[in-house]
Amino acid sequence: MIDFEEELKKFHPSLEVEDAETYIHNTDVIDVVDLMIQLAEASRIYEE
Amino acid sequence: MRCFNCGAVLSGNDFCTNCGTDIRIYRRIMRLSNMYYNDGLKKAQVRDLSGAVESLRQSLKCNRNNIDARNLLGLVYFEMGEAVAALSEWVISKNIKPERNVADDFIEEIQSNPTRLSGINQSLKKYNQALSYCYQESYDLAIIQLKKVLQMNSNLIVAYQLLGLLYIHAGEFGRARKTLENGRRIDKNNTLLLSYLREAEAALEERDGNALPSSRRGGSHTRASNDSIVYQSGNETIIQPLNTPERGGSSTFLNIIIGLAVGIALMWFLVLPARIRSSAAENSDEMVQVSNELTAKSADIDELNKRINALTQENRDLNDRIETLSGGGSVVEMYDILAKAALNYIEHPDEVIATSNILEGLAGENTEDGELVYSDAFKDLYGYLNSNVSKKAAEEYTQKGMQAYEGDNFNEAITNLQNSFNIDPTNDRVLYYLASSYRNLGDSDKATELFSSLVNNFPDSEFIDSARTYLRNGAENEGDGQNNNNGANDTGNTETPAATTPEQVLRGIDLTNGGQAAADPLFGAGAAQ
Repeated sequence: MIDFEEELKKFHPSLEVEDAETYIHNTDVIDVVDLMIQLAEASRIYEE
Repeated sequence: MRCFNCGAVLSGNDFCTNCGTDIRIYRRIMRLSNMYYNDGLKKAQVRDLSGAVESLRQSLKCNRNNIDARNLLGLVYFEMGEAVAALSEWVISKNIKPERNVADDFIEEIQSNPTRLSGINQSLKKYNQALSYCYQESYDLAIIQLKKVLQMNSNLIVAYQLLGLLYIHAGEFGRARKTLENGRRIDKNNTLLLSYLREAEAALEERDGNALPSSRRGGSHTRASNDSIVYQSGNETIIQPLNTPERGGSSTFLNIIIGLAVGIALMWFLVLPARIRSSAAENSDEMVQVSNELTAKSADIDELNKRINALTQENRDLNDRIETLSGGGSVVEMYDILAKAALNYIEHPDEVIATSNILEGLAGENTEDGELVYSDAFKDLYGYLNSNVSKKAAEEYTQKGMQAYEGDNFNEAITNLQNSFNIDPTNDRVLYYLASSYRNLGDSDKATELFSSLVNNFPDSEFIDSARTYLRNGAENEGDGQNNNNGANDTGNTETPAATTPEQVLRGIDLTNGGQAAADPLFGAGAAQ
């Protein structure tokens, strides 16, 4: 038996056109490659 | 592929030939990103949109610059009704790769139809409004709003999910199942949709309370009603009708009888009326044709009858003509009589009375067609004989009558004088002595009638005074004037009976000659001259 209240919490307001710009700016564009670069940079600094 | 450290183009080695950086992990990350992209593409092709979204998101986590994965993610969002999210992905994609990016086409297509974009945006606003109603526990309003949302944007998966959830919460499991199945047509393996659908079906089964034993149907079979079984086969919900027991022989026979009755009824009410109408129409056409022929025949018969009548009349006229020419009283006979009269007159010129009697045979014939029948020579001969013989005969009759009168033989006198007067009704002397003969015989009525005729028709007669005297004195004094032949007793005023013509007087007398016209029995007065 589902819990209606809990299920209702899974729904979020959909993006409207006016929110698109904010959404785009707030999108997390960091990927694994970025992490790897950061790790490589940190390792190089550590070796120095 | 370029080196993530220096940006140089990488070769087949495991390190960058420019900066010497180890790129083995980098290569594996790139492969992982591509693998997720491929997975997302496959899922999108089988309409597993939510699964595709997950795979494409993983792909972008590995490599945010995977343009294909980002563009495909935008497409999947758009298919799920999330147009703004789709546009955002395409904008980011275009920002990463401004040139030769298919996202340009997508954005341009969306922006080229502002009405559609506005409709989608309105549907999203309404969805958010419905969600707000849900938070306010105004579930009925939320349901109404979500129905409008789905009418405007029928691909919005979250709206199907929320509406299904609200139906389940309201206990309308049938509607919930229908709504969720509609959503599954867009996104087949949406986890939330499936979980709600299962919940709705379970609730329906529990409510109906007619689940089949799991051992018989493999655990997932349910009886949807008395006539069908519903069970899940993979993603498909199968509704299988239950086998009905075969009916007995009597019911089969009954069904055959009912079928025959229905067939006969159909024949009676549908086929036969059409046949009857068709036959009636054919008969009507034939009747019209026969009627036309009959009318033509009748016209021919009428015409023939008219011709027959005309010919019959013509035949009758010809027969009459033949009868007239050859029968009794015919022209031949008339010529024969005229010839006898002429012969008698030639042989015995003095026997005018005999000749006159012969001519009397012509006097009784019908003279209406005389102009057509008798020739001019006939008429001339008849006129000659009639004028000569009749005049002499009248004189002879008069002479005999006067001799008989003087001999007091009044009966003979009356006969002769009457014959004379018949031939020549202008002779007042004959009329006077004829009246006197009647007076002497004692027939005062006849005498009075003849004297009156004399007074009225011959006012200049020398015998008028005697006639007036008789009429004035009447039968009482008849003895006084019996021998007064000349009767010259002019007393002046006399009263005469009502005027009568000589012909009227004669009609009252029993004429021995049949009352023939004296002047010209055949051709009128002119012919007698």
